[in-house]
Amino acid sequence: MALLNSVLALRKDPRILKLPPYLSLLCILGGIAWLLVLPLQEYSRGTYVSENALLPGQVHTYFTGSEHNIFRAYRQEVHGLADKSIEERTRRLGDVFRSQNLKVATQRYKYHASGRNISNQNVYAILQGPRADATEAVVLIGAWRNMDNEINTSGVALVLTLARYFKRWSLWSKDIIFLVSGDSTSGPQAWVDAYHDSHSSDAVEPLSIKSGALQGAIAVDYPAGPWGHRYDKLHIVYDGVNGQLPNLDLFNTAVSIANGQMGIGCTLQRMWKHDDKYQDRLQTVVRGMMSQGLGHATGPHSSFIPYHVDAITLQTVGDGWHDEMSLGRTVESLFRSLNNLLEHLHQSFFFYLLMQANRFVSIGTYLPSAMVIAVNFSITAIALWVASGRSATIPNPASTDHKDKNAAVTVVEKDGAKAIIPTAALEITERSLFLPLGFVLSSHFIGLLPLYIFNNTSQSYLNLAFNATTAITTILPLATAFALSSVKQPTEQETTLVQCFSLLLLGMFLSALATLNFSLSFLIGIAASPLSFTRAIHAPPASSPTSPPPSFLKKNRTAISVAQATLIAALNPLVLMKIAALVWKVDITDILVKAAEGWHVWGLWTQVVVWLAWWPAWFCGAVVVGSGLFS
Amino acid sequence: MAIDQQKALLFGAAAAVRLLLFTAFPSLPTLLAGRVEVSTPVTSFKRLQEGLFLYTHNVSPYDGGVYHQAPLLLPLFSLLPNPSYYPFATNLLFTAVDLLGASALMQIVESGQSVTTRLFSSSRKDMRWSSIAVAASFLFNPFTVVTCVARSTSALTNLFILTAMAKASQGASFTFIFALSIASYLSMHPILLFPPLLLLCYDVRVTKTKSSSSPLAFTFYHTMGLVDAIGGLLSLSAFLTGSWEFLSATYGVRLLLPDLTPNVGLWWYFFTEMFDSFREFFLGVFWLHVASYMPGLTIRLRKQPLFVAATLTGIFAVFTPYPSIADAALYLSLVPLFRHLFPMMRYTFLAASTILYATFLGPAFYYLWIYAGSGNANFFYAITLVWSLGLSVVVGDSIYAALRDELDVERPELRGKDVKRI
Amino acid sequence: MLSFLALLLLHALIAPALAASDYSERLLLRPLPQNALLASFNFRSNESSTAFEQQNFRYFPRSLAQILQHAGTKELHLRFSLGRWDAESWGQRPWNGAREGGTGVELWAWVEAQDQEEAFARWLSLTNTLSGLFCASLNFIDATKTIRPVMTFQPEGDHQNSSHLHLLHGTLPHEVVCTENLTPFLKLLPCKGKAGISSLLDGHKLFDASWQTMAIDVVPVCAEGGECVLEMEQTVDMVLDIDRSKRPRDNPIPRPLPIEEIECDTSKPYNAHDTCYPIHKTTEPGFSLADLYGRPIKGACPLTDDEGEGANTVCINTPPERTIDIKTDGAYVENKLQSDTLRCYKLPTGSDFDLVLPEQQMTTGLVHQEPPLSAARHINGHGQEHGSVQAVIKNPSPTDSVEFVYLESLPWFMKPYIHTLRARVSGSSESPIKETYYRPAVDRARGTHLELRMVIPPSSTLTVTYDFEKAILRYTEYPPDANRGFDVAPAVIRLISPASADNKGIYLRTTSLLLPLPTPDFSMPYNVIILTSTVMALGFGNIFNLLVRRFVGADEVPTLGAGGLKGLIRGRVERLRARFAAKRKAT
Repeated sequence: MALLNSVLALRKDPRILKLPPYLSLLCILGGIAWLLVLPLQEYSRGTYVSENALLPGQVHTYFTGSEHNIFRAYRQEVHGLADKSIEERTRRLGDVFRSQNLKVATQRYKYHASGRNISNQNVYAILQGPRADATEAVVLIGAWRNMDNEINTSGVALVLTLARYFKRWSLWSKDIIFLVSGDSTSGPQAWVDAYHDSHSSDAVEPLSIKSGALQGAIAVDYPAGPWGHRYDKLHIVYDGVNGQLPNLDLFNTAVSIANGQMGIGCTLQRMWKHDDKYQDRLQTVVRGMMSQGLGHATGPHSSFIPYHVDAITLQTVGDGWHDEMSLGRTVESLFRSLNNLLEHLHQSFFFYLLMQANRFVSIGTYLPSAMVIAVNFSITAIALWVASGRSATIPNPASTDHKDKNAAVTVVEKDGAKAIIPTAALEITERSLFLPLGFVLSSHFIGLLPLYIFNNTSQSYLNLAFNATTAITTILPLATAFALSSVKQPTEQETTLVQCFSLLLLGMFLSALATLNFSLSFLIGIAASPLSFTRAIHAPPASSPTSPPPSFLKKNRTAISVAQATLIAALNPLVLMKIAALVWKVDITDILVKAAEGWHVWGLWTQVVVWLAWWPAWFCGAVVVGSGLFS
Repeated sequence: MAIDQQKALLFGAAAAVRLLLFTAFPSLPTLLAGRVEVSTPVTSFKRLQEGLFLYTHNVSPYDGGVYHQAPLLLPLFSLLPNPSYYPFATNLLFTAVDLLGASALMQIVESGQSVTTRLFSSSRKDMRWSSIAVAASFLFNPFTVVTCVARSTSALTNLFILTAMAKASQGASFTFIFALSIASYLSMHPILLFPPLLLLCYDVRVTKTKSSSSPLAFTFYHTMGLVDAIGGLLSLSAFLTGSWEFLSATYGVRLLLPDLTPNVGLWWYFFTEMFDSFREFFLGVFWLHVASYMPGLTIRLRKQPLFVAATLTGIFAVFTPYPSIADAALYLSLVPLFRHLFPMMRYTFLAASTILYATFLGPAFYYLWIYAGSGNANFFYAITLVWSLGLSVVVGDSIYAALRDELDVERPELRGKDVKRI
Repeated sequence: MLSFLALLLLHALIAPALAASDYSERLLLRPLPQNALLASFNFRSNESSTAFEQQNFRYFPRSLAQILQHAGTKELHLRFSLGRWDAESWGQRPWNGAREGGTGVELWAWVEAQDQEEAFARWLSLTNTLSGLFCASLNFIDATKTIRPVMTFQPEGDHQNSSHLHLLHGTLPHEVVCTENLTPFLKLLPCKGKAGISSLLDGHKLFDASWQTMAIDVVPVCAEGGECVLEMEQTVDMVLDIDRSKRPRDNPIPRPLPIEEIECDTSKPYNAHDTCYPIHKTTEPGFSLADLYGRPIKGACPLTDDEGEGANTVCINTPPERTIDIKTDGAYVENKLQSDTLRCYKLPTGSDFDLVLPEQQMTTGLVHQEPPLSAARHINGHGQEHGSVQAVIKNPSPTDSVEFVYLESLPWFMKPYIHTLRARVSGSSESPIKETYYRPAVDRARGTHLELRMVIPPSSTLTVTYDFEKAILRYTEYPPDANRGFDVAPAVIRLISPASADNKGIYLRTTSLLLPLPTPDFSMPYNVIILTSTVMALGFGNIFNLLVRRFVGADEVPTLGAGGLKGLIRGRVERLRARFAAKRKAT
């Protein structure tokens, strides 16, 4: 207690108030530095399989010989279906499965997103394991078209051949479901939604036959034509929707089987060339974080992961000497391993950053970097709070003490119950909290508007909508600030409080988000970090304790404010999105279309975070700066 | 604007918000009723529906592991149309419950017992919030709104606790006894509020009627009254359900914690991980611990019985077996009564940010444990620890402030100076 | 339509067999589509009840009889089952499902007792002794796994005083049936698997079957004369995958066949030496008992009688055109029944007997009778908090509606919300539920017991759904083995109308469910106890610290004044120095 008292006594020390800007700067730099350190060999770990039951690569694989002839025949069949109608395709694939004595069913789905219809059909077959009691199942997926919209000829043929081959074995302890989905993103989503009966019945047809709880899913992406194509490496895709990842054990099993048993090299995150240098590892990590942060579906497996079904996609890349049978044997061995599972994969990590096929860092190592970046906002918020208290009542230190504290208390009560406290509640407090709180929360509500617009505009207008919104959002803060200044000049304290609350909320959101989707939280944190350094510089005689000696600042107040304003304008989420699109040479419309599809089909949450957490914070910061400009 | 106009406006707004939420998001009540932070096994509306179904189909709802709530709720809710088809009546009822609670809260404020009692009058007595403001901070507290939308029956308990406080602070004995007996009948632990509220009632009576009646007789009559009221309620419910087995199914469950469904409290994980041989012992210890605050506070803060009662609700929100955010909402909406203590509270920012972070991280970690499967039970458990810690810090700090306030009256020369405890 | 006739008569001709002789056994083989073969073994032994009372047993196994007498069990039904009956392609179930159980072990019995308590006590002793006899963990059938069905099960036998009879029913869905259950099963037979059809029963083959069930039924049967016999019926039904069973035991791996042995579709344009579209074989696969079971039948069991129906020990139900060769040295008798679709053989005594069916291109096939109902049950939703069970029951018959009883027996930690129970028939609005019996679960005391009597109109689908919540258990209540989840017993469906021809009833069972529960961290009891206690201690200590202490001004306290941190540290340092000084003095 005594110690606490004396720590509290420190609060009166004016020097403390100088600290926070440097402290939060330190946090940001620390966070980035932390991430840069991770790819060093000393800080990452080699992967290992921790689920003993998996026994990767411990079985002989027999998928050879005459199966190859049959595979070629099926590949011809699939190739023949390329230009057929969806119904015909489904029927013929179903017939092939039926001829193998499997239970076959089909599923129609018809989504409607950003003005276009996504409608197609899934066909799937269930192999009832002789040892199984219909309580567990594993899924083998071959999407009809892969992510690049090529026809997955060899992949689907491989699924058909493996179905015929697996049927002969009597050792399956789980049912095996062979799914040929209409496309790579919506099809699997529709299927897995219907499997868990959480589908919207008007868009998706329910499944007529089901099996037990899904234990894992493997997708095969091998778009080689009817004459085959020998590949070089396996590209293992593992990102799920909303940045959820499959259990690391599944990834490790795939790698160790492909590498150790079959001698196929594995690569990830489109790092076609990875010669184990620091730069490569860093690049892999950054790419991984990008795709995790976007949270989009990266393959047929992505839709399974939100249902806690660990899933990966095996994609063949490059020109080499590995043929379809080695891929088939890899899948066979993977399924033998999954078949051994006694319980759902739970041993290894669910949060990790991979830097090559056999090195990773786990959450304990990397989470701090995002956390300190989130914390920097909280620090600034606290500092601003105290600062606003100071500036309100300079004259008498003793009473400052009191006011400071009791005001702090008032904010507690308000945070317990946010802005909705009416003025009556606050008339008696020294700080007029109502305007700042009201402003911050209403700006958060404004975010709903663009969210709605972008999710429900039809494709043709999306680009227009985007440009319009960019323009508006860039102007809006200054306009708001001008309007405020013309209607009722906000006091310096009010602007400080606005910034304080918005940063407090931002820090809170980001730290919560960091536990769900680390990458998104980190990226937003970096993008928003300048917000904790911009200040509203008011006309003299107002004095802000956090600003260097007034003489300089006040002289070229306007210049600095303009500079700040331009900086902030450049940090507009939409502007950043545009820049990113230009850098990676993607059409902004495609991004928006994908996002809308994600919102309507996969339950993607990224845009919610952007519009309800990031954008409002940016908006408040911009308005604060603008108010400084117009004061 | 006149006070009653303000009141009308405020209540109108509050009711509008609730009904809007009910009607705009029809699936929201079910969703929230499923959240462990909001509805516990002893307050869940879904379990109440199950009990109703069994009751209306002549199966004893207490001959099973699902329904653990008071029997008198069954006839009450069986009067309403089936909420799964016509939810409007139920929603209206819960909205009304919140509004009544708010008006009770306003009566407490207007009685002024929070700052000036018979034996004590704070030196900052003019530092108060208007009743409207306090009612607003209750009605618009997100926790209260969520509890109302989830239709958790702890809203009823809160209503009766508030009413009991209001009546006690007005010196209305019968209504006070009645409300308190119903509250303790519904969820047992409010019985601990009886001594402080009795003192409060006594003080008010004495100040009103300048004749100081004998405290013993007063205590005796009121205790008898309470016993009679509760006995009446119990026997009525026994008569309704046809047997006494509801006792073990309702109060027995609260005492022995057979249902370990997670909640924001400290008990569930403790007794999940507890060794069987020690379970009974620790159950005893925990209950003793909850009960032990009442006498201590009542004696030490004899001069401010209302503050004692408010603090006890805070204790309940942390240390009872099945707490939910509804209990926290009750306490957090009682704290503004003691606006005059805020200047002397010290860790408020700490506590506030702790509670806020817990509010954000709790659902996230629960999702990681239950749905994503990527986190385990310890994640959510850690957050419940943080939450409880934050609340208990607020409680302790407010007690410190209250004592300091008393000290300032006793020794005015120490105002604004640092003090030590020896 | 032939085989439909065959089926009815089959039961008819087995029925007199029991009355005729004291011991009879029969093996019925029926080829099924998709290279499957249904082999259903049936052994019956009778004991007159008087002899039973006097404990002189001829065919009736003494071990079981004494258990029944000790536990006062009048009628017993025990099932060991594995796998799924694929009604879609295999058609009607053998014995109309009356001789099969849900996945794992299922046991129900009519126990004679004065009251419920006594009945339950006897039930416990029954399960414990049976678990010893059959090497199954039947002793785990405790109060939480025991229910008392009211509509689903009817006694098969004739009981005099049925007032004192109590029906109890228990299941172990997680029990894995294996060889150690088969061995005691065979031990109960008079010929002990040494001779007769039981000589075919071998663990390796039996448990490699796609579907298999072992049943033991003890039923008192009284003739009109009042002379009662205690009839014990042992049944083993299995569906063998012929290709799989024909693999030699030393080389069971299904390696890819050499390309020469695969029949290619030469009509395909791309057909080439390295490209082969396999065509589905249309010929009936050839097999012999020796292929399937690794050994032929070792002659007849001498206890079966030589004349009459009882002598027809091995029957095979195929179209007349199917050629069947008999390989034996002894004398056997073949007689054809039901216009030759059923061929029965009287086994030679003392010499091996084998049936050989060559691979053959068939022109006619047997019509497989459509099952009256088909049922599937699944868990919807995900996450370990709550979910919903969905049972889909189809009535294929275009003409007549089906009335049935649906029995659910759920573990206590799966808490159903019966007010969310919805039963919908496709295309009609009125509820199909005619009668409901519900007994809610009590934590750690008993499980949920739900029985619904429902009616499905012709050619329509009935969907039953209800929500449930998953309880979190104490960490000592989770099983020590891998946390795969808990198995939920299959639902039992008994048809009321159309009623069955015999008194066995028509039954149907869904598959079992897997219920994953939320788990605590099992490694943490100490940490949790410590942490929670710490938080409580903080609250308690803080508050009582305030309550018991007294305030004084900071400046009135001599030690370490209000110098903030600095003063505090200085005070500490001084204290330390003083202590050291004291030490130095002391030394």
